[in-house]
Amino acid sequence: MTAPAIEPSDINLNNPGHFQREEFHELLRILRHRDPVHWNPPGEVSNGFWSITKYEDILFISRRPETFISSKGIAGPGIKPEKLAELDFAAQQQNAGGNASIITMDPPRHVKMRRLVNKGFTPRAVNAMEPEIRRITNEILDRIAGKGECDFVLEVASQLPLAVICGMMGVEQEDWPLMFELTNKVLGSGDPEYQTDIPEEERGTGQAARLTAMKGLQTMLEYFRGVLEDRRQHPRENDLPTILLEAEVDGEKLTEGDILQFCFLLIVAGNETTRNAISGGLQVLCQHPDQKRALVEDPSLMDTAVEEILRWTSPLHHMARTATQDVELRGKTIRAGDRVLMWYPSANRDEDVFPDPYRFDIRRTPNDHLAFGIGEHFCLGAGFARKELKVMFEELLRRFPDIEVVGPPERLRSTFINGIKHMPVRFTPER
Amino acid sequence: MKVRVKADMCEGHGKCEKTAPEIFKLGDDDVSIVLIEGDLPKELEEKAERAYRLCPRQAIELIP
Repeated sequence: MTAPAIEPSDINLNNPGHFQREEFHELLRILRHRDPVHWNPPGEVSNGFWSITKYEDILFISRRPETFISSKGIAGPGIKPEKLAELDFAAQQQNAGGNASIITMDPPRHVKMRRLVNKGFTPRAVNAMEPEIRRITNEILDRIAGKGECDFVLEVASQLPLAVICGMMGVEQEDWPLMFELTNKVLGSGDPEYQTDIPEEERGTGQAARLTAMKGLQTMLEYFRGVLEDRRQHPRENDLPTILLEAEVDGEKLTEGDILQFCFLLIVAGNETTRNAISGGLQVLCQHPDQKRALVEDPSLMDTAVEEILRWTSPLHHMARTATQDVELRGKTIRAGDRVLMWYPSANRDEDVFPDPYRFDIRRTPNDHLAFGIGEHFCLGAGFARKELKVMFEELLRRFPDIEVVGPPERLRSTFINGIKHMPVRFTPER
Repeated sequence: MKVRVKADMCEGHGKCEKTAPEIFKLGDDDVSIVLIEGDLPKELEEKAERAYRLCPRQAIELIP
């Protein structure tokens, strides 16, 4: 007897279990083939939303940042307006997005704010940082070199992006573990492992997730309030908090709230997603030993390998937008006020764009994936992510060519972040 | 067809230069410059459209 076929109407993507158990690729494939503009009905607390699963449609939405805005929230379906009053402050904050950072900002202000910092993120700026990124990478690998085994996420993958972004933000090394912990609380808030401020018997609920995210956010903002206090007295060179303190938009200085949100965004976005691309990249290479061997033998394949790792892992499952007017898409009417979720792993396996999309191929060319989004909100840190991935895999495979994943990765419970929390690896130690 | 680059959007990824070096060049300030003033020769229109589609920031405008 075969299992009954899953109908598009059975699919509810607002369920982190689908993502933790990696069922989401199959569900997204069904939607992409049979109902590419799919209405996901509301839950008890959360809004209904449209699931967008075709590459071309994500392009269409991303090119219209005035029609599909970010300021109503960029993660998940959001909470029903009538439920907001019943829930506490944390939920209201989450729905409103709190003070806006550039990720939840719309044109025209978004571009003006982004331009305050974007020169530090161009390919040219990133290339200038390459020697430093390589030095940090080898320091990280030195620490595991004699051990022969480790938790790859905690000891390797998380450490490089954390060090790079904390360096740019002037966060002292002793505080890097705190930044890691708070990032996990904010972006992994739905995972009981990070709900450490909640009594054990209450973990795993939506409310526990909202409170965890809020606690992480508040602690991080408090931390950066201290950093800003310091930089007002002691400005630094090449330091993002100093740049933001001195910056003006339309002739006005930024408010402290603006700057704090900016710092918060740069830290969390700068360390979580690249971590998961590194972990997921090693996982998929180990699942394809022939391609891993090819990459060890010919590191000149690294540029295309990095792009394929990005396509394959798609570190963010989705970004959300809210329609400001009625829009027709593939015969469906998206109404003004409706939330749309753009599912990047689906676009990155769209048969109309990628031949044989479920084949992992480190030589794939062209590879115009949407792992970083596209358009107005294209990932500011894409250049750093690419460079960190390239340098990490160059050094890792040079020093530990036989590194193997030796147990099932523990995946994050999240509809937003394609996260790996722990992944045991083994390798021949260096002498 | 004319081509324009929105300078406030361009972040110097250089996809346009790679795709259509006859039309685009990355300047010293990491902003892409359009090398052809006025209408594009017909044979370059397809390349311009490809660059438009690929630009990470969608900073290219095609004016019919």
